[in-house]
Formats: sequence, C-alpha cells, structure tokens
Amino acid sequence: MTPPREPMEIGERELLGLTAELEETHRATLPVMREALEEWSAERREADDGPALDVASLVPTRRGFLLGSGVALGALLLAACSDDDDDSSGGNSTDLAVAALAASLENLAVETYQAGIDAAVAGAFGRVPPAVVAFAVTAQAQHRDHAAAWNSALKAAGRKPVRGVDETVKTAIVDPALAQLSDLPGLAQLALDLENVAAATYLNGIGVVKDAGGLKTAAAIQPVEMQHAAILNFVLGQYPVPDAFAGTEGARTTTDKIG
Amino acid sequence: MRATRAPLAEMVDTGRARRARGGPDPDEIRAFRAQRRRLLRGGIIGGLGAAGLGSALLTLMESPAFAGEDADVEILQTAASIENLAVAAYDTALTLDFIGGASAIPVVTAFATTTRDQHAEHAAAFNAAVTKLGGREQDQPDPVLNEMVEQAVPGLTGPGPVVDLALELENTAAQTYVANVGALGDLNARKVTASIMGVEAQHVSVLLAVKALLEAGAPQLIALPTQLDALPGAAGDVGFPNAFSKTADARPADEGAVK
Repeated sequence: MTPPREPMEIGERELLGLTAELEETHRATLPVMREALEEWSAERREADDGPALDVASLVPTRRGFLLGSGVALGALLLAACSDDDDDSSGGNSTDLAVAALAASLENLAVETYQAGIDAAVAGAFGRVPPAVVAFAVTAQAQHRDHAAAWNSALKAAGRKPVRGVDETVKTAIVDPALAQLSDLPGLAQLALDLENVAAATYLNGIGVVKDAGGLKTAAAIQPVEMQHAAILNFVLGQYPVPDAFAGTEGARTTTDKIG
Repeated sequence: MRATRAPLAEMVDTGRARRARGGPDPDEIRAFRAQRRRLLRGGIIGGLGAAGLGSALLTLMESPAFAGEDADVEILQTAASIENLAVAAYDTALTLDFIGGASAIPVVTAFATTTRDQHAEHAAAFNAAVTKLGGREQDQPDPVLNEMVEQAVPGLTGPGPVVDLALELENTAAQTYVANVGALGDLNARKVTASIMGVEAQHVSVLLAVKALLEAGAPQLIALPTQLDALPGAAGDVGFPNAFSKTADARPADEGAVK
C-alpha cells in the first residue's frame, strides 16, 4: 500500500494570507510607480509627439500597474526605435532583445518554482518548512510580476510577448537538476543558480541597454533577484552576502534560444 | 525604530526640501541627457552647424562638463560618502558588546564585520570611479545621514535599534544607487554603481530576516546553518518585500559631493 502523502505545512488560509500581503505590498508601492509612469509618458511625448499615455486611466491594481508600466516602457522602446533609425549602434534592437531574454528567464523561474511546489505538494521532499513555502510562493509571484512587466513592454513596442522560457538555460541547468532532484537543498540550490543567472544577466544588461525606461526597469529588478539569492544562501546554510560586488559571470546573452 | 525614527523623518524632509530647492536630481540629469541626445541627433544642431553658427554650441554640448561628467562625479562622491558613513556606523556598532562583544550572537558579529568591510570596498570603488573622471576622492561621510546616525547612537541600547539603524542606512544606499544607475552617463560609473546596489539590497534582506527573528523572540535561529524546520513562515519572505526596488528614499545626487 502506498503511504499517504505528507502534506506541505501550508493551508489555504495561509496561502490566502500570503496573497493578501503581496497585494498589500503592491498597493503600497503603486503611487511611486505611477509617478514613474508619468515621467516615462512625458518623455514619450517629448520624444516623438505621439499620443500620450493616459496615466490617470490606470486602475490601482497590481495587474493594472504591470500593464501600465509595460506600456510606458514599450512606448519608450518604440521612441528609442525611431531615434535609433539613424543610430548605427543598433541600441533599440539590442534593448528589445534584452527585454525578450529577461522575460524568458523570468518565465523559466516561474516554471521552475512551480515544478518545485508541485513536487513538494506531491510529498517528494517530506515535510516542507513553512519558511521555505513562504519563500517559494512569494519569489514565484515576484518573478511572474517581472515577466509581466517585460512582456507588456514588448507588446507595446509591437513585439509578441514572450510566453516561452530560455531553452538554453532550461536544457543546460534546469532539466538535469529536476531529473535528479530528491531533497529540499537540491531544490534550493537549483533556485539559487537561476537567481544568480538572472541577477548576472540584468547586471550585464544595464551595461548595454540604452533606453531609459529599460535601464530603470532592469535596475529595479536586479536587486530583487539578489535578495532572493541571499535568502536561498541562508536556507542552504551559506553566508547570504558572499561577494562585495555583483558580477556578470553566468549572464545569459541574447543568442540564447527562447522557446 | 524607536531611537532613529524622529531623526530619520527629519532627514527625509531635509532631502525632499533640498531636492525642491533645485539640487541635482537623477531623473533631471537623465532627462537632460535624453534631450541632449535628441538635439545632437536632430537637425537643430546640424542646421546651425551648416550655417556656421552652431560649431561653438556643438563643441560645448559635446564637452565632458556639458555632457554631465561633473554630475557623474557628484553622484559618485555622494555614493562614496554614504559608504564612508556605513563603515563608520558598523565600526561604532562593533564596539557595542551585544554586536561585537562576548554577549553578541556570533552570526550578527560576523555579518557586521563582513558588511563593514564590503562597504569599505564599495567606497574605494566609487572613489576609483571618481578619480577616473578627474574628480577628487570623497573621504567624508554624507553630512545629512551622519547627523542622523549621531543622533541615533545614544539609543543603541540593544540589537534591535542597531538593526533598525543599519536597515535605514542600507535601504538608503540601495535606493540611491538604483535611482542613479540610469542617470550616470559614464558607462564605468554606471557599471560600478549597478554592481553595488544589489549587494546593499542583500544586506537589507539579511537585516530584515534578523529583525523578524529578534522580534519573534527566536535569536537562536540567527545562525549558519539555521534550524530550517523551526523558522517561522515569515522568515522565508520577509527579506524581499517588493517585486521592484523602490527609490523614494534615495538621497539627493549632490548631497555628499566634495565641496
């Protein structure tokens, strides 16, 4: 007889509580982000005299914020595109490629955290500590937010949103790790690897992206990925801030295959 | 935040008032640079140049000073001043028995020592970037933040207030650098700043987790490795409360500039 699955240490009430806290956090940061949208909208107007973003119409919800920020960033990317028509550096196409790469890495993170959550729910790791549950749920939600921001930007710039994942990283790192996964430290190490790759990629991107909105977005996300890495190091019993400087080692490039 | 709340409120007000009086603002610098790029790309300067009238203006606009190297130097000097203050603050904290002495939690002592050293490395990196741009090294602390720290020191009677003070400094540093990344024109200066902002964010994560465990009455869990099963759920995600880094508490770009 198959032994009963050992449930995760989380109930529906706790999950709802976590979700509510996340929503509260988003509401708290909304005024700041709306201010940023207004700045971006103004820059768009200056850039090409095109139709302004209707910032006032953005509804005060997380979904609305993410869509709005993406639209604003996309507008800037479009403006940069027209600017770069006579710019031999090809900055805009690079910016859009970096945005697509970022979205694919964020999608991969969401997918990988989901695989870990599914395995935990199935009892693959035995009892899962509450702190690990909270980490996985919140980190996955934040990666989903990051992906949505980049995808909204791509969509507004006339590109298709990236729904797939970075297949290069998936094939080289995620799939082999998931195939051998047997315990929580293994899962935490895989998550740490992905967070480090994302942080390195954003840092590398900050050195090449030209668009102001793109820079602002990458700068707003990179520290969050590093925070995820710090907590994962702590979970693994390692010093949480191992380096005085973030590096670009392991950064992905726009030549990665996006599925 | 009993000891530092009032001085911090004053500090924030001072910063806002300073910005309102017209001190350099990262977003203003960013907007200036964007406008300059458009002018240089557009027909305005070209037309003037063709008429023989624009060469002086063109030369001026392409000069380092007009391009904003002076602004870059001020931003970097301010960053160095924040790092200098952080080093001094951790030095002070380490003289307290409950942080650096026999009664301290060993991991807290190790964190304070390592973080102090990392801030010293950051200060050196910012100053190296300053001198590369022809500016003078900043060896003094940020004057406004320094006043806040001096007022807070008498209230550092236990680990809690020290963690609160460190949190304010780390948050301020991280938010200032995130705000400045897009404003820096010099690529090296931007890369240096970007490589540090995420590390400050990691310091914030650790301090938030430590604060949560102290407030939960579980200082024994502040250990490496920790007892993962015993950690409260909140310890898993308290270290990364926002999906996107905030910049509301960034310091004015010239606050720590060498006068």
